[in-house]
Amino acid sequence: MGMDRREFIKSCSLVAMMGLLFGCRKVSLDALAAGEPGLAQFEEEVKLAISHAKRQFDLVKVARPGLLEIPGASSVNRFGMAIDLDLCDGCGKCILACNVENNVPLVPAEDAARGRFMHWIDMHGSAPFMCAHCGKAPCERVCPTGAANHTPDGLSAMMYKRCTGSRFCGANCPVQARKFNFNDARKLGLAHQFNKNIPLRDKGVMEKCSLCLHRLQDDRLKFKTSLTVGATAEEWRGRGVKTACSESCPKNAIIFGNWLDDESPLVQRTKNRVLYAPRELANLDPSVVFMRGRR
Amino acid sequence: MGEPRVPEYGAGTIPFDHALHGDSIGLDCAACHTGSRASANAFMPSKADCMDCHRLPLTEKPGIETLDSLLAKADERPWSHGRHLPEHVVFHHGVHASAGVACADCHGTGYMQNRYGGEKFDMQTCLKCHRGETFREKGFKPAASYCAACHR
Repeated sequence: MGMDRREFIKSCSLVAMMGLLFGCRKVSLDALAAGEPGLAQFEEEVKLAISHAKRQFDLVKVARPGLLEIPGASSVNRFGMAIDLDLCDGCGKCILACNVENNVPLVPAEDAARGRFMHWIDMHGSAPFMCAHCGKAPCERVCPTGAANHTPDGLSAMMYKRCTGSRFCGANCPVQARKFNFNDARKLGLAHQFNKNIPLRDKGVMEKCSLCLHRLQDDRLKFKTSLTVGATAEEWRGRGVKTACSESCPKNAIIFGNWLDDESPLVQRTKNRVLYAPRELANLDPSVVFMRGRR
Repeated sequence: MGEPRVPEYGAGTIPFDHALHGDSIGLDCAACHTGSRASANAFMPSKADCMDCHRLPLTEKPGIETLDSLLAKADERPWSHGRHLPEHVVFHHGVHASAGVACADCHGTGYMQNRYGGEKFDMQTCLKCHRGETFREKGFKPAASYCAACHR
């Protein structure tokens, strides 16, 4: 033993100090080493995703979305989107905007190399595709916990805290719109909470396009405290709300709005157009549709 | 659970007694918690809110002048009051106030307010009105009961 008692006690207390300093931290040493990812990495990943674009969907004509056929459906609000394929050039700005707005995590390099990303919007051909918020959603039917459910105003909502990770919903979606958190993104240093209003998801939870539910919620809550509440019979219609993807599109190709509101840009811009949806979704009453050509 | 003899220390270690500052002197919660009628967050009071009343001696008790002068000289200490609700819960004070819910319905009265929430808050507390029968008894409008109304 080359060490004397003094040295030994010194090194023991040093180890104890390190334990206290690092053992109590919420952030693991892996993440400390990995660091928090910056915006540049998210941009790189989006570029990579576009280069891995999957095959374009077969589009078939669908009727204009109307009243939802579910019990308790609202008669005045049904939110949805229309994507104008004549205007879209596949630039991918919508994907980046969505990722930043919703704190979507990066994926490990092996997954990225295989073209598997956590992005809620995926490029198919040169068209962006995300959850279509089907009125007859096959995912909601098979969720064992009710985490996948439908709101009265037309959103296919995903409640992360109820999700137990069965992945039945992901398996049942005919177009693979749902993404599963196989990794603990926080621990691996793959997540960045760009938007403090949205929680980061845990490992083992499914996620997908939420039609920017948080923006709709904030708008509705603001409406309910305005001075005219109770004075008039006016209902909240979500006017003026835009999803992050629709806001970011430089060609205004993504139109968000309310299918049941005549003043909504969605209704006005789809008036004389033919509406399409992927063949697999045509009978499921999608709220997100595509447009191409003039009638 | 009787009334404690001394006021318990609140979120900011200031020995403030809600029982002394409430209905007994006709003070409404919104006088200090300025967001409670129309904002999402009710906000904690600033020094200016205290000084609004404590500029002049309010009682004949000895020590009130000491309190007032110390308060006037104290520096503005911002609250380090973190959000108690988990990230995935959306709660808007203004919407509930507009619907007729009184502050005391959730936060209790008097000394109970010295402890956050007066009682422990969990989803069951919310469901009493959002899904149960309490809202009818109290005469509130029916509240939204689909998940996405309050969760994100």
